[in-house]
Amino acid sequence: MLPATAAALAVLAALLAWPVPALLARARWPRRDPLVALVCWQAVGLAGGLSIIGALLVHGLAPWGSSLPEAAWSVVTGRSAEAAVRGDHWVTLTLAGVLAAELVGVLLLSWVRTARARRRHRDLLEVLVRPSTQPDARLLEHPAPVAFCIPGARPLLVLSSGMVAELDDAQLAAVVAHERAHLREHHHLYLLPFVAWEAALPVLLAAARAHAAVRTLVEMRADDVALGSLPGPAPRRTLAQAIVVAAGGAGGAGVPSGALAVTGSAVGARVVRLLEPPSPVPAWARALALLSAGLLLLVPTVLLLLPAAL
Amino acid sequence: MASLGELERAVMDRLWSADGPIAATELRDGLADRGLALTTVHTVLSRLEHKGFVVHDDARPRRFRARGSREDHAAELMHEVLGQAGDRQAVLARFVGGVDPDEARLLRELLARATGPDDINR
Repeated sequence: MLPATAAALAVLAALLAWPVPALLARARWPRRDPLVALVCWQAVGLAGGLSIIGALLVHGLAPWGSSLPEAAWSVVTGRSAEAAVRGDHWVTLTLAGVLAAELVGVLLLSWVRTARARRRHRDLLEVLVRPSTQPDARLLEHPAPVAFCIPGARPLLVLSSGMVAELDDAQLAAVVAHERAHLREHHHLYLLPFVAWEAALPVLLAAARAHAAVRTLVEMRADDVALGSLPGPAPRRTLAQAIVVAAGGAGGAGVPSGALAVTGSAVGARVVRLLEPPSPVPAWARALALLSAGLLLLVPTVLLLLPAAL
Repeated sequence: MASLGELERAVMDRLWSADGPIAATELRDGLADRGLALTTVHTVLSRLEHKGFVVHDDARPRRFRARGSREDHAAELMHEVLGQAGDRQAVLARFVGGVDPDEARLLRELLARATGPDDINR
């Protein structure tokens, strides 16, 4: 017999593996409120992992007890199974272990690789850059108009001399405000779960879509934060101009063609929403979205932890 | 006391502008305004060597030179920044990713067409 908890978790996992991310990726409202949408995506990513691994575990441990805490306790205390342990129990237990190990392994691996790449970039930047006219930004001598930041314990915000040459002071301030927003809100951490999902399950198309959606939302969020701190009379237009100049100048140099379609349309979406600001999401809808995100995390947690009454 | 990073930059600037390999004592004299001890110069040099920016020869005393030009290193960094795709965004957040020429033209038209989005907003 299949415990009701395992069945419920499996249904949730199936919903989160395709229909939910597909709907969220296609929805129009996220660009009106990137922050709430980012919270929803985090909930989808975490609840997805929780429900699939949970479903496998609950089913695999079913012979030891009808709920996860009960079964886990039986296993830990070395009591023998109450029911016959069949092949499918071992298969699901193995799958749960492999998937959990893979997700954690991918996270650790990408963490290490990222840290190494950042250290190399920081080493290079420390001998190459000079202070710039913008406070807390550094200047790198290079003709391509590029701006970027390296997050981490010692964050670095870098403007290329090409960027400084092509933008006026207000546009430059907009670029710096955008990058500063990335650093202050630790946007690189929002991307981590989706890096792990995409690397761990490349066959799961929803993982790539989710990753792309989160990447775009993080940029839109940084745009929104930047707008709040820009003094000029037309901050939206200023930021949009900066984006267009940076996009035009870097003209695909060395960018793999596979990345173009994704980043390209995302850049376009950013410019459009700056020039034609969509109406903000009403308060009740925000509350509803946040509540759904909370429930999405709560449901699998409760299903896993509560002793089954069934 | 200047930070090590700043000292590294000063030493690299000296090495890049030097005509050939130079000894640590010459570096110290060149940076006399900073009042550096010779041991500090050696510390900075060995850090730079470890990072792969500096190499030394076998002469006595050892003489140091930059492994690559400033432009080489800038190009190396920019290659990484411009070539980023996928999980590279976890390493650094770039203001705008590259777009193809068609889309860049489209964006410029969009910008030219739009009339005062900021007026609508206030």
